[in-house]
Amino acid sequence: MSSRPTRRDFLSQLGVTTAVAVGGAATGMGVSGIAHAQEKPKGTVPSTPYKIGHMTFFTGAGAVLGEPMYKGNVLAADEINAHGGLLGKRKIEILKADEAAGTDANTKEMRRMKLSEKIDLFMGITSSGNTPALGPVAEELKLLTIFVDGCTDFLFDKAVPNPHYIFRITNIQSADGATCAVGVAQAWPTIKTYAHIHPDYSYGRNCYDHFSVVTKKLLPNAKSVSEAWPKLFATDFTPHITKTIAAKPDLLVTSCWGGDYVALYKQALQHGLFGKMKVATTLGFGSAPQSVGKDHPEGVLSGVHSNYHFTYPAGDRWPLNKTFVEKYKAKWNEYPNFQAEGAYTATYVLKTAIEKANKLTGGWPDDEAIIGQIEGMMYPGPGGYVYFRPDNHQGYKDAITGFSKNVAEYPFPILDPNRIITIPIRNITAPPGWPKGEPTSTYTWIDKTWPQMKA
Amino acid sequence: MDILVVHLFNALLYASVLFLIAGGLSLIYGVMRIVNLAHGNLFAIGAFATASAVGQWFAGSTSGWLFLLLPVGAILAALIGAALEPTLLRPLYKRPEEYQLLVTFGLLMILEDVMRFVWGPYPISASVLFEKLGSMHVGEFIYPRYNLVVIAVGGLAALFLWAFIYRTKFGVVLRATSQDMRRASALGINVNLVYVEAFTIGCFMAGLAGAVVVPSQSAVLGMGVDALILAFIVVVIGGLGSLEGALVGALIVGVIREIGITVFPEIELAVLYLIAAGVLFIRPAGLFGRTA
Repeated sequence: MSSRPTRRDFLSQLGVTTAVAVGGAATGMGVSGIAHAQEKPKGTVPSTPYKIGHMTFFTGAGAVLGEPMYKGNVLAADEINAHGGLLGKRKIEILKADEAAGTDANTKEMRRMKLSEKIDLFMGITSSGNTPALGPVAEELKLLTIFVDGCTDFLFDKAVPNPHYIFRITNIQSADGATCAVGVAQAWPTIKTYAHIHPDYSYGRNCYDHFSVVTKKLLPNAKSVSEAWPKLFATDFTPHITKTIAAKPDLLVTSCWGGDYVALYKQALQHGLFGKMKVATTLGFGSAPQSVGKDHPEGVLSGVHSNYHFTYPAGDRWPLNKTFVEKYKAKWNEYPNFQAEGAYTATYVLKTAIEKANKLTGGWPDDEAIIGQIEGMMYPGPGGYVYFRPDNHQGYKDAITGFSKNVAEYPFPILDPNRIITIPIRNITAPPGWPKGEPTSTYTWIDKTWPQMKA
Repeated sequence: MDILVVHLFNALLYASVLFLIAGGLSLIYGVMRIVNLAHGNLFAIGAFATASAVGQWFAGSTSGWLFLLLPVGAILAALIGAALEPTLLRPLYKRPEEYQLLVTFGLLMILEDVMRFVWGPYPISASVLFEKLGSMHVGEFIYPRYNLVVIAVGGLAALFLWAFIYRTKFGVVLRATSQDMRRASALGINVNLVYVEAFTIGCFMAGLAGAVVVPSQSAVLGMGVDALILAFIVVVIGGLGSLEGALVGALIVGVIREIGITVFPEIELAVLYLIAAGVLFIRPAGLFGRTA
């Protein structure tokens, strides 16, 4: 096969870009965030509250992702309510539910919220284990739903292959493993061996699969030399670290997140792991930013669920991000993560869809009209454009990852502003119409259509 | 060779923590015949209390004196235990066991929310203690010295408890009460006092376990339930109510987990349950359990 491309050529075909810092100082460029002023709505709009049922993790180890999600939703709702509410009339009212109750209880709670509380929209969900259970129930209840996360490919590949009422805004799960592997191939093309540590549940398995398939294509000579599958929310990684170090890999790949990741890196530090190998993560910097300390080593490929880190886009280049981060910090006294950005943007996607539908139909639009507006919508959120594919209702936005770095402005490490890696999302996810595959459509698409690089 | 030493340290580390948690659970059951489902949350409270004392009250300090704060979690858990037994559990001893399970399960959920209320949703760490002691070389491996402290605490706790129960007058009273509460009472032993003390010691051990793990692992919501499940595996293997059982069970779990992770990574989660199932099959009361 003389036509095999070089890695560098293929990465540029993928559109993988490493951003270079642009001076971030605000110099009065006159951009001031989202203009909230809205036209007067057509027809008569009721003034009853618009109820959103927000289910996410408020207790348990998952709360490091769940709390920011809820806070993003509340921030957007408060802003919209300050302008009178949706269409200037309907104030948003948010009802909380704890996702930690378990999948079975969650489906019951979704029914209860719809039937007893009469919610207009369901939002939230962190766990990949919950969206495939709740998706079909939402469809059955005809309950308009925007999942913020619960990002498993399985939801729209298998559980609800033809969604009507449900959407999902943060990136599809397979993008995480793929983004991480592309980052590794670009930054450390000479690695020959790698080791895995992944939490043993759907997210960890998915990251393992997609990291492996992309690495097989981009770094055909590299091979896996060790695997460890700790329990989700484990906090003692001592044996996994011992095993990894003993295998002497060039690289460790991990999809641990939240408290797990904090425990893992702190223990790895004391075992001298970071001095012995490169480290790449899919979600290391995905939780609340302050949860990682400045003792975290620099130069680690630090994943953010391939979605969003509050420092990018930086400065005045994308004012939507700047104002969002400022407002979030002012309200919650912390910095937003990708879940906060996802829930915030989801609320504005809803608002925009309702306003567009109102222009067409007048009065309060029914769910069908709102759904029609979300399908195919491209919305500029703080993290960039998010596009809702009409065929599978998945939100797509360009993938991002980067390298950990300590800077003076923040009491925790951020992504090195000079080395942000972005990848156009369509180049690492299966296109519309691609047949459903095992373990995911994206997996088979990469396996069948990506060329193998020259070794 | 050096890797074997590291594996052994890892196994002992895990066993030490498990022994502290499961030993407390087993002690309480042995004396009072109560399965305290909230036991794991006392472990978590120990972790949160020490983490907030070291990591929040004295944030930024790297003084060696911080080690004196390590027992804060154990003391808080013991105080909570001393308050809970007379108020919440004592009224239920004469009722069927279901009541105790319901009450302690309710307590589990209440404590979970209390922790979230007091310490918030994010993990808290006390890693300054973990880092303070640095690492040492074991052949070509680097190993955190702090882990050896945890192993020592577990070992000393086992030794201390053994001496306490088999070599002191209070130990005799405790064993007598555990064997026949009515007769002990008839002999003039203040059973209520014995119960409070046993429950407090059990909670102290759980809190101590939380306090010693938190520097290397950080305190996270939900850690209590995980600990409870592991403690149950240990007591299922060792036998509920037996301290020797808790010690042997913890060592077995520690060693098997280490082997499982190294050799059969794919079934790490299942391996402990398989052993517990195996023991139940051969000795339903556990290795050191008394068959009723």
